[in-house]
Amino acid sequence: MLELRSITAGYARNAPVVRDVSLTVAPGESVGLLGPSGCGKSTLARVAALLHRPDSGTLLLDGEPVRRWRHRAPREKRTAFGVVFQQARLSADPRLPLTDLIAEPLRATGRGDEVPGRIAELAPVVGLTSDLLTRRPHEVSDGQLQRACLARALVLRPRLLVCDEMTAMLDASTAAALVAAVEDYRAATGAALLAVGHDRTLLRRWCDRTVAWDSLI
Amino acid sequence: MTCDAPAPAAAPERTEWRSHGPRRRSTRALRVRTSAALVAATVLAVLLVPPLVQLDQQAVDLAAKLRPPSWAHPFGTDDVGRDLLLRCVYGLRVSLLVGVAAALTATVVGTAVGAAAGALGGWADRALMRVVDTFSSVPHLLLGIFIVTMFRPGVWPVVISVALTHWLSTARIVRAEVLSLRSRPYIDAAVSGGASRWRVTVRHLLPAVLPQAALAAVLMVPHAMWHESALSFLGLGLPTHTASLGTLIQSARGSLLAGQWWPTLFPGLFLIVPTLAIAGLAGAWRERINPRHRSELML
Amino acid sequence: MSAGLDVTPPVLSVRGLSVRFLMPGGRRVAAVTDARFDVAPGECLALIGESGCGKSVLASALLGLLPGNARTAGSALLGGLDLLTADERTLARTVRGRLIGLVPQSPAAHLTPVRTVRSQLEETVAALTATRGRAALRAAAEAAAERAAFPADHLDRHPHQLSGGLAQRAATALALVGDAPLLLADEPTTGLDRDLVDRTADELRRHVDEPGEGGRGRALLMITHDLAAAERIADRVAVMYAGRIVELADAAAFFGSPGPRHPYSRGLLQALPDRAFTPIPGMPPELGDLPDGCAFAARCDRATDACAAPPPPGTVACHHPHVPEDVRA
Repeated sequence: MLELRSITAGYARNAPVVRDVSLTVAPGESVGLLGPSGCGKSTLARVAALLHRPDSGTLLLDGEPVRRWRHRAPREKRTAFGVVFQQARLSADPRLPLTDLIAEPLRATGRGDEVPGRIAELAPVVGLTSDLLTRRPHEVSDGQLQRACLARALVLRPRLLVCDEMTAMLDASTAAALVAAVEDYRAATGAALLAVGHDRTLLRRWCDRTVAWDSLI
Repeated sequence: MTCDAPAPAAAPERTEWRSHGPRRRSTRALRVRTSAALVAATVLAVLLVPPLVQLDQQAVDLAAKLRPPSWAHPFGTDDVGRDLLLRCVYGLRVSLLVGVAAALTATVVGTAVGAAAGALGGWADRALMRVVDTFSSVPHLLLGIFIVTMFRPGVWPVVISVALTHWLSTARIVRAEVLSLRSRPYIDAAVSGGASRWRVTVRHLLPAVLPQAALAAVLMVPHAMWHESALSFLGLGLPTHTASLGTLIQSARGSLLAGQWWPTLFPGLFLIVPTLAIAGLAGAWRERINPRHRSELML
Repeated sequence: MSAGLDVTPPVLSVRGLSVRFLMPGGRRVAAVTDARFDVAPGECLALIGESGCGKSVLASALLGLLPGNARTAGSALLGGLDLLTADERTLARTVRGRLIGLVPQSPAAHLTPVRTVRSQLEETVAALTATRGRAALRAAAEAAAERAAFPADHLDRHPHQLSGGLAQRAATALALVGDAPLLLADEPTTGLDRDLVDRTADELRRHVDEPGEGGRGRALLMITHDLAAAERIADRVAVMYAGRIVELADAAAFFGSPGPRHPYSRGLLQALPDRAFTPIPGMPPELGDLPDGCAFAARCDRATDACAAPPPPGTVACHHPHVPEDVRA
């Protein structure tokens, strides 16, 4: 469902971080992208989730080439992806209580009336209790905040999850719980997964197929 | 192993708790209280004195001109015998009004421009920031004088002049803040969640920069008061019969050379003390909104 | 466990260390409760637990870096000095750098960005040792870099020009300058990839084994949530849960056979992707609202009515610990 063809991307004009990389994720498939830190795999994940415009290359979503990125990308294409990042602290608006954090995508897409129902569904899935939901990010631990970030990524029922080092900062038990929540969601909906990380053991255990960054270049 | 020995069960009621952290006495609380008291006194004075005392600040008494401070006139009288205490309070009122109005206008304009530049990026950002650069390349006072001279003397031209020369720094602060926030993963997450550019700006970016912008606004009040005084001192701001701190100091110039110090000193103090007090409060506020001090729990 | 180690007195001896935070509204947060452990010379003790369990607070307490609303109890003896009662002057002049070398969490942020590694090393050498004179400082800085395996031809670089691994070595070199008997490493491997984690762990281990002053090796207290790094480097493991050390064990027995004895420790190990990869159900309790009894009981499959009482003191704070027999069964 997602195909990246010879993507070159970066932040400065003449110094691309990602050079000529191709990667395919089939519908319902889970792909682990394995690479050392600082190699550019996070940039590729942002390109894949339509959050960063590549300098060159083609991205096919359901066989159709994507020509617009970020705000310019059509909303239904953007929301086909659910993203979770490494650092929960930086991924959460510090002013919003966890409920609003999770509900934000629903409100942004004009589906505010679904908020109570979806929150009630998702909180047990990611293991958040109701007293945690009223707190702001600085009042919860990293692990609890990352649970909320995963709930936010799932709230619009994406067809593809992009998890960029989702568990790198977490203890073993929380990591296993979040991976289990992702897998439960995928089993129920048939969503695909692109998991980016540096932990070989974790990605091999988690994904159908792992791709080493070196083999893509 | 040395720690395999059974630990005695701790008796919680006997536990002695020691406190830690800095023990040095800080003058911060004193500073904040003094500033707050002075600001409160200023605001009360300019709001309550004119309606309560019912005295005419313009009352001329040529028989009592340039009297030094006394019980009848605690601040003395000016060159036409008007009571300087009353003139100073009225002057402070006008200066404060100009300062607050100009600071608010400048902050609204600056925040709007800065947020637009930061959130839009690309050519819009470049164009807006070139405008800011152009404005700041002209000296403040010169531009201020130019604007004032286009209108008839009065309060509002001065407000506009001060506002138009002071929004630039706010625009720069807000833009820089928005740019640094824009690259945060939480903005990426909002975009991925379907948020429009407008929603990202209004819901995530602006609320995060508002404390900064509000702080800049408060800090700008003293600045604007000084600017107004400078214009009035040059005879370009308010008409001389309207008491503002600047016009008071300006008309006292001649008497200072003649050895009469009070018509300059008291308006000068009325300018310096409230502006320092406002700056002191703003400084304390800045320490408060510093995110490092937000969470007292280090987990 | 070898009894021979008992002959040498521990470098750090922590007894009954507790930390409370007084929160607005009179709430008290029990960040650390009754911690008790020793670290011997030439030994690495890994303090493991999830984020928010109180392990960083424990480290801050040892360094005297707690905020003003913290209250402490107990003692932490380091060479006859109680770190918890020492005043700021003593801590700054004799403890930090000289008695405790800190290996920081993010080395790139720990180094001054605008100065070269060499100038930072020379400054630290001048501050912590009696070395004086330009040539002597230069030589001492180079020697310090060599001890941490930091390449000499990178000494004139600025921190942003270093890779993650080299920045970590530069920070370690700084921590080693004072020849402190105790090294305190706070999440030294966070954000590093596996190979770099292994290298960092091996290097830390080398500094523990290398005989320091008196030829006894250093003591290392490593605070981490990375179980793989702990397994690679630690002699002993202290598991922290909800502010308490719930298990103190020999690392080989803990990670290998017969395995951990506290149900929480077992759950933590079973959550690893190369083991069962199953999470412990539920979430840790709030440190501001701990139960009177065992804090893990609500998540524990061995919990009984007995768990409503505080767990027995000792190396395994549990009413129903696993015993080697049922591990083999």
